[in-house]
Amino acid sequence: MDRTDDPTFEPKVLFLQFVAAAVFVLFASRLFLLQVMEGSFYRTLSENNYTRTIVLRSPRGVIADRNGKVLCRNRISFSLVLDTAKEGSLERTVASMNRILGLSMTMEEVQAARKRSAVPSLAVLARDVPPAWVQKVEVHQDELKMLRIEMELRREYPYGSLGSHAIGYVGLLSEKEAETLRIRELDPFIEVGKAGVEKAANALLMGENGKRTAQVNAMGREVEDPRLRLPGVGVQREPVPGRNIRLNLDVELQQILTSAFGEETGAAVFMNPNTGEILAWVSVPDYDPNLFSHTISPKDWQALSEDPRHPLLNRPIQGAYPAGSTFKPFVALVGMEEGLLTPGTTFYCPGAWEFGGHVFHCWARGGHGGVDPLTAIQNSCNVFFYRAGDRVGIERIARWGALFGLGQKTGVDLPSEMAGTLPSDEWKRARGLGPWYPGETLSVSIGQGYLTVTPLQLLSFYSTLATGGKRYQPRLLQGEPRLLSSVDVSASSLEVLKEGLQRVVTSGTGRACNIPGLAVCAKTGTAQVVAASAGVDTKLLDKSIRDHAWFAGFAPRENPQVAFVILVEHGGHGGDMGAKIARLGLEYLFFGKKPGEEAPAAEPSTAPPLEARASVRAEGAG
Amino acid sequence: MRQTLRQSLLFGDQVTLFLYLALLAFGTVMVRSATFATKYGALGDRQVVYALLAAAVFALALLVPYQIWVDYGYLLYAAALAALVLVLVLGRTVAGSKSWLYLGPFGFQPSEFAKVAVALACANAIKDLPDKAIEGRQVAFLWGIIALPAVLTFLQPDFGTATTFLPLAGAALYFSRYPLGRILKWAGMAVLAVLLLFALGWFTFLKPYQKDRILTFVNPAHDPKGAGYQVAQARIAVGSGELTGKGLHSGTQNRLNFLPAPHTDFIFGVVAEETGFVGSVGVLLAFLALLARFLSTLRVARDAEGRFLVLCGFAVILYHLLVNVGMVLGLLPTTGLPLPFLSYGGSFLISMSLFAGLAANVRMRRFVP
Repeated sequence: MDRTDDPTFEPKVLFLQFVAAAVFVLFASRLFLLQVMEGSFYRTLSENNYTRTIVLRSPRGVIADRNGKVLCRNRISFSLVLDTAKEGSLERTVASMNRILGLSMTMEEVQAARKRSAVPSLAVLARDVPPAWVQKVEVHQDELKMLRIEMELRREYPYGSLGSHAIGYVGLLSEKEAETLRIRELDPFIEVGKAGVEKAANALLMGENGKRTAQVNAMGREVEDPRLRLPGVGVQREPVPGRNIRLNLDVELQQILTSAFGEETGAAVFMNPNTGEILAWVSVPDYDPNLFSHTISPKDWQALSEDPRHPLLNRPIQGAYPAGSTFKPFVALVGMEEGLLTPGTTFYCPGAWEFGGHVFHCWARGGHGGVDPLTAIQNSCNVFFYRAGDRVGIERIARWGALFGLGQKTGVDLPSEMAGTLPSDEWKRARGLGPWYPGETLSVSIGQGYLTVTPLQLLSFYSTLATGGKRYQPRLLQGEPRLLSSVDVSASSLEVLKEGLQRVVTSGTGRACNIPGLAVCAKTGTAQVVAASAGVDTKLLDKSIRDHAWFAGFAPRENPQVAFVILVEHGGHGGDMGAKIARLGLEYLFFGKKPGEEAPAAEPSTAPPLEARASVRAEGAG
Repeated sequence: MRQTLRQSLLFGDQVTLFLYLALLAFGTVMVRSATFATKYGALGDRQVVYALLAAAVFALALLVPYQIWVDYGYLLYAAALAALVLVLVLGRTVAGSKSWLYLGPFGFQPSEFAKVAVALACANAIKDLPDKAIEGRQVAFLWGIIALPAVLTFLQPDFGTATTFLPLAGAALYFSRYPLGRILKWAGMAVLAVLLLFALGWFTFLKPYQKDRILTFVNPAHDPKGAGYQVAQARIAVGSGELTGKGLHSGTQNRLNFLPAPHTDFIFGVVAEETGFVGSVGVLLAFLALLARFLSTLRVARDAEGRFLVLCGFAVILYHLLVNVGMVLGLLPTTGLPLPFLSYGGSFLISMSLFAGLAANVRMRRFVP
């Protein structure tokens, strides 16, 4: 290749010039494409690279009882999170994770966790992991790039199962709930109430997460470099903490009543009839809400949901039972208010009444002789109420029942309340059960037949009697009382009922609740589980078919401060167990007496557990 | 063969000198930016020393008449071969290959210096041949000279650097008496042969990571965590630089470790990210001007050995530019070859400076009888 005499020289140099220019043009146009035409796209990608949105978690509100005792609080916990948006192989990550952290998760379990999560790319693999894992995961970042340990706030219920049906529990937000609650936060740790007050007051308790944009390097570690002034890095929104709430519950009363049930199952609710404040909410057996605070294990869930005693059932509002004899005062009241009965109306009870070719028995085979409304309530005479019910008729029972809130939800601030059944001709026909027969009215008149109530409905009825017709919404959350309805009831009818109910306690079936110095008005009742023939000693029956025992009422007789209902499932006749439980509650509320203690004499207690208690004593003792 | 200082200044290659110094200075700044506040921070300072050393070597390559360099060609070649053999025995293994030789605290890569020695030895081989005499036999001889160090480099094993002897082999063929058309035809056939060999190699000697790189080049979604991740992050770095760049020290892809090997193989990614389209096209323009200057020198050089040296410099620098920038821009597979004058590394910088200095030398002494 000689420049002077080689003819191939010049073409070769020209070709090299062409090659060099071609390479330049190729690269320059590639740069033009990437940087000028698609530059903003790649800029966004680079910003996504170095920014990570960090959720600033808002603590859920704390729940306390009426005296400020904490029923539910938050604690710090560490969780293992899988971030599938990060580069890496899931299989390899899981294998390394099992090896490094000593776990034994299968791919199926990991996939299940991913499916459960409300955030598509994030899955919570384990909660409450040892804090030491924070460092372990950091150290092995090269292998565990898809994993990180996050701090979260977990619910803790210091009283365990006590009051679990009122307080409820929380769980991780599901995808469906995220939709209905309109939560669009990219946080897999959002917990929402799944039952009880936690669910009912979820909007108050929850607060709102904040977020912050952090600058991270390729290893995902947060870096602060003053030389890199990047747009959009910093706090975007401060978290809004959830509101702390107070309940009307009194934890001590709750404890007394719960332990009074012993091994029995059932429900007990105490309420201030003048405000609707619920002082105690017992549903036994109960469950430990702390179990749910962890993602509940399938084993625990199975144990709870398959327990034949149904611990998850919130009995005061989810159990509908025949009202039994506790319904009788209602029938007497309707009869007197409608002018079909007077306090002097007397029926003769020979022990049974024949109606429509059918013999209806009284529980007292020998009969009660002549009974008027007062003695009928006192002795719970069936024959009197058969005849009274026949006079009143099902339509009046249905109309007045509706006024007292029977057959409808009480509106208590808890989820999943049942309405019970207030039957009528219309009700029966609407269900394709045919026309109403007058004989069926007789069953309803003694609280059997189609009529069913939840314990809370029955309490609401007795509470309304206590206030002389004012029906308040039962409330667990503290707040302004809400009057649901005002039933116009005459004072004379009320006096008859009160006198009858007091006599039940002083000399009738409720004597176990006869407290010296306190005028208790209450009625026992028996809800038939199966129709056992009268006269059979129920104590000899197998427990599962024994009748449910009711005890419902209020105290003191004048200016009542407390209304209550006790249901002991399969408790036989209502007198004993229910009355005893109610007595413990009332003694605590009115005299500050705790079970096993002697009543404090003159000055009952230095620190009354309940403000209402002091006022109850002052006003009600006389 | 002597030239006065006045003549030297008059006929000297100020254009090459300027472009060389500009690229060198710019490269040093970029390497510092790529290593600033990282665990490689010290490398930025070391590159300054390398740059000064390289400039001194450039001056040496320029000032000693290139004919003398060529006269010592075989000696230097023998030394390079000895070093390449030595490195196979005593070399320190870095990233899987024995390519570093240490003299006390100073390490260098014999394969880089071997390129220059090969060029000088080849120039020596052809310098006394009559015009138009370079035929098949001579080309084969030159290829033998080139193949020996290439094979030794391949044995380290350093496939990437071994391929950098290819442009020298190309230059030897190009320098022959055969017309361009025929050479291009042969080159086309050679490419076909390489493809066949490659297909064969796929099932025999290619390492999994090498296959991976090739697969990733064909389909970037292949193994996104490994080689594909680098390709994707490099493209993000380049594109996000937009028109004027994010500013020195402000490239997030660079500074936050998203860009792989930012101070060596992907230094052009840092240039593109931090100085944008303006800066990266500016660098390419500087290379284009330098290469054009080499071709211009090719036309004015006074003897065959000078022309051959310039052609070798042109070929080696163009090859590195093509492969390196092509990789950063996602046009070619990841091969791990550095960019002349900009990438971190003393041996490579000095070797490239020798080529540039010799090219300037040839131009400066174009009238020396």
